[in-house]
Amino acid sequence: MRILFRLAYKDYLVIVRDRGGLAMLFLMPLALVLIMTSLQDTTFRAINESGIKLVILNGDQDSLGTAIEQEIIRSNFFNVRHEIDNKPPTEKTIRDAVATGKFQIGMIIPAGATQHIRDQVKNNVASLFSGDSVELPPADSLIIRMYVDPATKNSMRSTLQGSIREFAARVESQIILNELTREINNHLMVPVANLNRMNRETVIYKEEYVARGDKNAIPNSAQHNVPAWTLFAMFFIVIPFASAMIKEKEDGSLSRLLTMPGSYATIMFSKILVYLVVCYLQFISIMMMGVYLFPLFGLPALEIAGKMTSLTVIAFAAALAAIGYGISVGTIARTHQQAAIFGSISVVILAAVGGIWVPVFMMPPFFRVFSSASPMNWGLNGFYDILVRNASLTDVLPYGIWLILFSLFCVLISLYYHKFRKEFA
Amino acid sequence: MSQTMQSIDIKNLTKYYRGNEKPAIDRVTLGITEGHIFGLLGPNGAGKTTMIRILCGLLTPTEGQITIGGYSLKSELAEIRKIIGVVPQEIALYQSLTAHENLAVYGGIYGLRGARLTDRIDEQLQKFGLEKSRNVQVGRFSGGMKRRLNLIVGLMHNPRILFLDEPTVGVDVQSKNVIIESLKDINQAGTTIIYTSHYLEEAEVLCTSLAIIDEGRIITQGSLDEIKKENNSTAKLEDIFLQLTGKSLRD
Repeated sequence: MRILFRLAYKDYLVIVRDRGGLAMLFLMPLALVLIMTSLQDTTFRAINESGIKLVILNGDQDSLGTAIEQEIIRSNFFNVRHEIDNKPPTEKTIRDAVATGKFQIGMIIPAGATQHIRDQVKNNVASLFSGDSVELPPADSLIIRMYVDPATKNSMRSTLQGSIREFAARVESQIILNELTREINNHLMVPVANLNRMNRETVIYKEEYVARGDKNAIPNSAQHNVPAWTLFAMFFIVIPFASAMIKEKEDGSLSRLLTMPGSYATIMFSKILVYLVVCYLQFISIMMMGVYLFPLFGLPALEIAGKMTSLTVIAFAAALAAIGYGISVGTIARTHQQAAIFGSISVVILAAVGGIWVPVFMMPPFFRVFSSASPMNWGLNGFYDILVRNASLTDVLPYGIWLILFSLFCVLISLYYHKFRKEFA
Repeated sequence: MSQTMQSIDIKNLTKYYRGNEKPAIDRVTLGITEGHIFGLLGPNGAGKTTMIRILCGLLTPTEGQITIGGYSLKSELAEIRKIIGVVPQEIALYQSLTAHENLAVYGGIYGLRGARLTDRIDEQLQKFGLEKSRNVQVGRFSGGMKRRLNLIVGLMHNPRILFLDEPTVGVDVQSKNVIIESLKDINQAGTTIIYTSHYLEEAEVLCTSLAIIDEGRIITQGSLDEIKKENNSTAKLEDIFLQLTGKSLRD
């Protein structure tokens, strides 16, 4: 224990004397979190707070136009406007507004759209009840025009198209049933009730967010970026950590330590202790920024009340995983270049795959399979569950256990490699 | 020489590096007497560093038995680590730490604490002329100062056996003199010293026994007089060295 604390004191002094390294460990992650959250906040608001700006010119003002408009508003994906620069829109101003980026989508429902469907149906039904075996005339199509900013996601376009088709079909079927009722009543002695009474939804599609505790919760930019970039910062200590180990190898300090009482495991454990504190301070500083500083920048505040114990457990487990990874890179790499290049690239890959930059649900299915192989993904899922879904410590413990097992695996690999080098170098 | 007088006893030591068919150390048998200053000399790549690294427990031998201070290297390495001091050729110091902090860390690992540790640090810094620089970061030291501090680290716990790998390389005459004189004092106090160097004149003055190693084999050993006698020479050590190891360049 005496040796462990002496070594830990040495590692502490080495870290605090390296001001550039300290800045890299603390200031850069803070700057990164702030910048990334600010950049992504608009996107997250778009999902959370009807952020896609859509201007609509509803020339119909009848069943079809009203139904489409109401559904768009109800979807919560869009920020619906009926004016451009405080003026009623025209087809030209809508087109210009989308082209210049004022709106992402412009929609024009033509005047008399509902009446157009009604007339078409009336003619068709009358033709069917006339007893003539004539072919129905070709449909005179109704055009609902949509102007779309190319940057708008396909999913948003699909949502709009689906809504329009669905409501056009629903309005059309209502009109068909009304017309059928009228024709049947004309031909039968006993009047029948309006067939629209049958027009009820027999299959209801119901969707809800599955969450422990607070259901329907969606992460905001703070809830995603704070844990995501905390994990990234923790894993990025692989580079200074491995560099410190290689420096000790190159200047002979490690060899000297290995001729003294203690073991390689003791030397590594002292580093784990010190860097665990570093990681925890990173975690605390980034969390505090999310709680207190984000609102000053107009970003959503991170809410951590009552969640600190669970968050701390996951943070410690993630820190152990990051340090374990650092030990293995530092043990196996022979030069600073090897450690820096392999360390940084592998951490960036683990971050990308793990959903740090792009949330996993937005990834192609092929990559989703790999995301669960990244320890950063385990940590992120743990943080998500706590922050977004109010999960308890017991709920997120499996993530913590996986992270600790990963750390153990890395440390064991390093100890084995060290022994191998000693015997067979 | 009786077995009990041996500080280090090496029997049939062999070391192969992975992928090399030729051994780095080839069946070396050697005894180093307690209280001696033993010089291990040889050209580049002869096997000196490999041998020192094995004796310090940094490399595992392929074959052979070694006892150091009566302890088996194979089974009692932890005990050996307590009684040896190592001064590597590299400046194995933490550059951002002060002289005092470096010595406190290393001394602490050897179990020195409190007043005993402070007294030992002060004593050694004074002995090697570094007392005024005790609170200066090592990164700001001159080469000679670093070399002296490097030596002090190996002496902090007053080891029974001290390994020195090129302790005077790259230092000025004054620092070299302080180091050599200190090594003599330490040896007088009872520490066995195992020393490697390319400075043969230095070895000639300092060492009480010598061995010349080449291509992993000990080609001669004994006191300087014994070696001269064995090689029928009255010349300097350097001439005998060249006579035994040849004049061709080594990598």
